[in-house]
Amino acid sequence: MKRFLETGNFAITEGAILAGCRFFCGYPITPATELAEAMAQELPKYGGVYLQAEDECGAMHMCIGAALGGMKTMTATSGPGYILYADPFGWALGCEMPLVVVNSGRVGPVSGITGAPGQGEFYLTRYPTQGGNFECITLAPNSAQEAMAMVVEAFYLAERFRMPITVLGDQLITDGFEDITVPENEDEMKEMGFRTYERGVCTGPEFYPYTDELDIPPVQMGSGHGGLCSDWTPTVEGYDIEEVEAHHKHAWRLIYKVRNNKEVFNHLYEKKYMDDDPDLVVVSYGTPSRVVNTAVDRARKEGLKVGALRLINLWPFPDEHFTRKTKYLAVELNWDGQLVREVERAAPKDAQVNFLGTCGDLPTIPDLLETFEKLLKDQPLERKGWELEAW
Amino acid sequence: MKDRLEIVASGFGGQGVVRLGQVLGEAAVKEGLRVTMLKSHGTEMRGGYVRAQVVLSPETIDSPMCENPDYFVALSSAAYNRFKDTVPDDGVIIFDPAFVEDIDGDLPCTQKELPAKQLAVDNFGRPIFSNSVALGAMAKLLEGDLGKEIILDSLLEVIPKFHEENRDAFQVGYDYMS
Repeated sequence: MKRFLETGNFAITEGAILAGCRFFCGYPITPATELAEAMAQELPKYGGVYLQAEDECGAMHMCIGAALGGMKTMTATSGPGYILYADPFGWALGCEMPLVVVNSGRVGPVSGITGAPGQGEFYLTRYPTQGGNFECITLAPNSAQEAMAMVVEAFYLAERFRMPITVLGDQLITDGFEDITVPENEDEMKEMGFRTYERGVCTGPEFYPYTDELDIPPVQMGSGHGGLCSDWTPTVEGYDIEEVEAHHKHAWRLIYKVRNNKEVFNHLYEKKYMDDDPDLVVVSYGTPSRVVNTAVDRARKEGLKVGALRLINLWPFPDEHFTRKTKYLAVELNWDGQLVREVERAAPKDAQVNFLGTCGDLPTIPDLLETFEKLLKDQPLERKGWELEAW
Repeated sequence: MKDRLEIVASGFGGQGVVRLGQVLGEAAVKEGLRVTMLKSHGTEMRGGYVRAQVVLSPETIDSPMCENPDYFVALSSAAYNRFKDTVPDDGVIIFDPAFVEDIDGDLPCTQKELPAKQLAVDNFGRPIFSNSVALGAMAKLLEGDLGKEIILDSLLEVIPKFHEENRDAFQVGYDYMS
């Protein structure tokens, strides 16, 4: 294994190449520009292809093309580019094309603040395209090291589920430097818990079976067995059609191949001090979870019964963690509150769900500790300047 | 060393704030430490605000934020004013008088003037080496936590050009702090 100081952007590139990615098409955007740079530099060394598209919409379309050609492929962007993936994202979902999409969150809306972290695309990664009748899988790492691991995992899931998978990071993860450890061979990858899955070729006769089964290899153009790459509903045999019954069966598969196989990814979470029924559960994902961990450590030292739940698999939302009637606090890098809405939906109706959001910077440990204390004493969270908004 | 050492550098884009953090982080990795470095910046390549927050620890680092930096390298008045109050009593502010004009004499922490830009111009005729001067000064202050030679090696690795001048500038900064 090699260990060095690098950015999350570079760590993600390493992970993608380890997972077998040999085609990257993107459009540079802060804070994921260095990812495109690293891909341009590294991919050719492995016989891969880097392509800069005219925009993000074109970039993801070209990734779909490469996936249809049998390549493992990835694109990466930030919020303003992720929204431009909307059209090809639906196409990749509908045609069941495996690919990996990285979104490094910055502060929105629109261009917002480029060099600061944001978590404004929590729901967007669940609904990245129009039309409904699909389910999505989103993974949210909280460090450069984990971003590398989750990109490898995303390639694994993309192949098995035959769909695009989003890795949702933030500016601090991709732009920040961290000491990273990179495995150098398959044994070391296994040792680090990295799972990989080889690309197969669907040889028919059923190209789009109406089941919730996994591990059906994707269609591949030029394989001699036909395949479909259309924006219309695919039939079992791989023809496109606009017909109600075929669409019902297809939509059912897109939803239930994910919902009925959650055990493949629902171990992706982290719990801290959660074994003694804490009076307050702090829920977060991504970089804020690291500050939350430190704050919860300190709270425990002060005798506060606080636990931390960090979600890595964001979608489908892991409702199973929210069965207890207790106090919850969602900590997010936005002021409007997104994760908190899902916590409120998943938690028992009489649970108390609270929100602490920041815009452009991580929450501070004193702010977190003060919030924990207030909630445990049943005091209201007053609005303090712009920083703290009662939910 | 301490369980956790925090270093903040902040100034304008183009001054080498990120490079400074990166070199110290690289040196810490070589010393076997865990490292995180957050960087925040504006859109501009040059002239916008930049901040690097470096945390070094023998253990896994949870929060990567520098809430009470042990060392704060201030390379603009705006940065000085924004972060000076976060430095604890036993912390050190290192400021370049070419960029930081008004110093708050009431701060309880130690404040060290480092005319890095002037030293670079005087010794090498170019302000571009002021960053290496600052790194030399930091190497003196961090003695006991990070080895001087390891920081210098990391500097030469991270900045592949002008090795001779960078090495000399590093020594100028080190001697200035000695």
